[in-house]
Amino acid sequence: MTGPARRAFRAVRSDSRPCAKKAAVTNARLSKIVPYAVAGAAAGYLYYVAANIDYHARAGVLGPDFWPKLILALTIAACAYEIVRLLFFAGRDGEVGGVLEEVVEDSAGKHGEIEARPAAVSHPLLLALGMAATLVYVAAVQKLGFFLATALYFALFMVIGRYRRWGVIAAVSLLGTLLLMFIFMKLVYVSLPIGVEPFSRVTFLLMQLMGIR
Amino acid sequence: MEGVLANLAVGFAHVFEPVNLLVLVVGIVLGLLVAVLPGLTLVMGVVLALPFTYSMDVTAAIILLTAMYVSGTYAGAWTSILFHVPGEPIDVPLLWDGYAMARKGKAAEALGWTLIAAFFGGMVAAVVMVLLSQPIARVALTFSTPEYFAIIFFGLASVVSLGGGSLANALISLFAGLLIATVGVDDTYGAYRFTFNIPILSDGIDYLVVMVGAYGLGEVFVRLEQGFTSAQLEAIGRISTKLPGLREILAVKSTFLRSGLAGILIGIVPGAGATVASFLSYGMEGQYGRRRAQMGSGIAEGIVAPQTAATASVGGAIIPLVTLGIPGSGATAIILGAFLLHGLQPGPQVFQTSANIVYAMFASVFAGIVVMCVIGYFATKPMVKVLDLPEVIVSAYVVMLCLLGAFAARNNITDVWLMVIFGILGYLFERFRFPITPLVLGVILGPLAETNFMTTMISFNNDWTVFFTRPLAGPIMLVGILTLLYPLFRHLRRQAKMRGSRDIAL
Repeated sequence: MTGPARRAFRAVRSDSRPCAKKAAVTNARLSKIVPYAVAGAAAGYLYYVAANIDYHARAGVLGPDFWPKLILALTIAACAYEIVRLLFFAGRDGEVGGVLEEVVEDSAGKHGEIEARPAAVSHPLLLALGMAATLVYVAAVQKLGFFLATALYFALFMVIGRYRRWGVIAAVSLLGTLLLMFIFMKLVYVSLPIGVEPFSRVTFLLMQLMGIR
Repeated sequence: MEGVLANLAVGFAHVFEPVNLLVLVVGIVLGLLVAVLPGLTLVMGVVLALPFTYSMDVTAAIILLTAMYVSGTYAGAWTSILFHVPGEPIDVPLLWDGYAMARKGKAAEALGWTLIAAFFGGMVAAVVMVLLSQPIARVALTFSTPEYFAIIFFGLASVVSLGGGSLANALISLFAGLLIATVGVDDTYGAYRFTFNIPILSDGIDYLVVMVGAYGLGEVFVRLEQGFTSAQLEAIGRISTKLPGLREILAVKSTFLRSGLAGILIGIVPGAGATVASFLSYGMEGQYGRRRAQMGSGIAEGIVAPQTAATASVGGAIIPLVTLGIPGSGATAIILGAFLLHGLQPGPQVFQTSANIVYAMFASVFAGIVVMCVIGYFATKPMVKVLDLPEVIVSAYVVMLCLLGAFAARNNITDVWLMVIFGILGYLFERFRFPITPLVLGVILGPLAETNFMTTMISFNNDWTVFFTRPLAGPIMLVGILTLLYPLFRHLRRQAKMRGSRDIAL
């Protein structure tokens, strides 16, 4: 790029910076609005559901829809308030915080301890895998039985959590599952899922070995 | 008075039965371990212990959970003081003076002050709890539904107003909890509400499922997203506890009294727990203490104030639980769950129907504090060793105990699905800065609030003014409304002050 061209480009870029900044601020504001919009919309839908609750009305008595509708109306109002505040007043008026929030802010401001902590790094993939593993576990535990499903889940969870000491993983998964099985089936009398054939054979064998009837 | 003492003696006799004593020691040790581990909060610990109590005798179950609750307010102080890692949110104020004192080479003294503060706060609150409970229960017998509704309204207002984070978020969280509590068949009409043709929803959503999911699983998801990064701990050589002398204790007696009283009162307020007590008491000491200018530099008052209040809040929180059947904190909500699971309903009648269990609970607070202090004095070092456990392993077990806890409640896999859903919801709440406590207390107190509101409306021909015109309900409602509006007043005053100083600067 030649000198004048570079200067012109810089001029254009510096002109566009406030616009970019403004767009970024608007985007940040809009993304803050999303949870309130979702909560408000969900409350609106549930209000509709509540309004259609089937019951035999009695004269002079509030119906079973009154209480949920009251709560939902208040939810919608709170969401609307936050959306309006974020859209139009976010820069001028900060949010109203609880009493503890202010005490923490005052104390932390004086002592500078809370701010000293580094911001946590985010690992969305680990989170997604952890959630998926938990959902799969709940779906599989009745088929595989408690022992097999839990031992596998323990191992998988530790691997997802970036733990790589394989001997410890195996020991913690197997012994931990056996211990839980013993406590809950033998001592607390909870009938944990035994699984379907052929997996149930493993459960029955272990139950026999631990003296669980 | 003699009756109270006689009942308390019977309570002690129950606690000192070998099995119950063993349960008490186990509860204290578990509570201490839970408080030390940064990934586990006191409420989570008590939630996770609940399934183990299903097959226990009711007295033993209550003793176990109460012991965990008592000691859970104490041990997090060790890691705050020694490693600058608060085991619980309660212990954050201990970073300011506790850790500062340790950095001056006085870690043993800081631990000694914590122990004395926990002992004093716990014991004073326990005495107040024993003295006040029966008279309050007697008064509560005269309450009608408007009074009950007013008390619940005040509790819900205080949980929203006293908590951290945005007021609007706390309100939305509370409304979500109240709404969850409406799921199922309605008591008055037998109408199905929000069941969406799912059979198990007809029985409603058990608040324990919500608690286990939101507090336990949700927190694990948050930590998983952060990659289970534990704080680097400083190498500590010898860990010992050096108790302060009587003259040193008397020099800060007003701090002990002020914080103890604050802790008890905050504990009594339904919805405000040990964390609020700890922070507010530290803040109070910073405003009114004799050495307020030196707060944060490692002085005894900065340790005594939060620790005394935190432990004192336990006795305070038990009072509304046993006298009104209204839990004052997350942990007492689980203890309420344990009572209900064993077919007992805390409330004004409980002193007539199950006085022995209530007094065993009271006695377990006294005995628990003593056991806690003995273990705290001799076993701090082995206890903090638990921090060497990889967080991912602890979390794996937390998840499993959450899943088992949800399953064991009704032996139904649908409860586990619901718990996982509430776990994800708990994570989303944390992610978008919606507090979880109002959600949980909304679920717990929602049915009580609705029943008392609807019964009042039916009894008083839909005249809502009775909530404000009755001699007891009216003032409580007014205090509730003022509590709710207080953060708004503070905010407006702050804004006006800032605007004023900006004008002066210009």
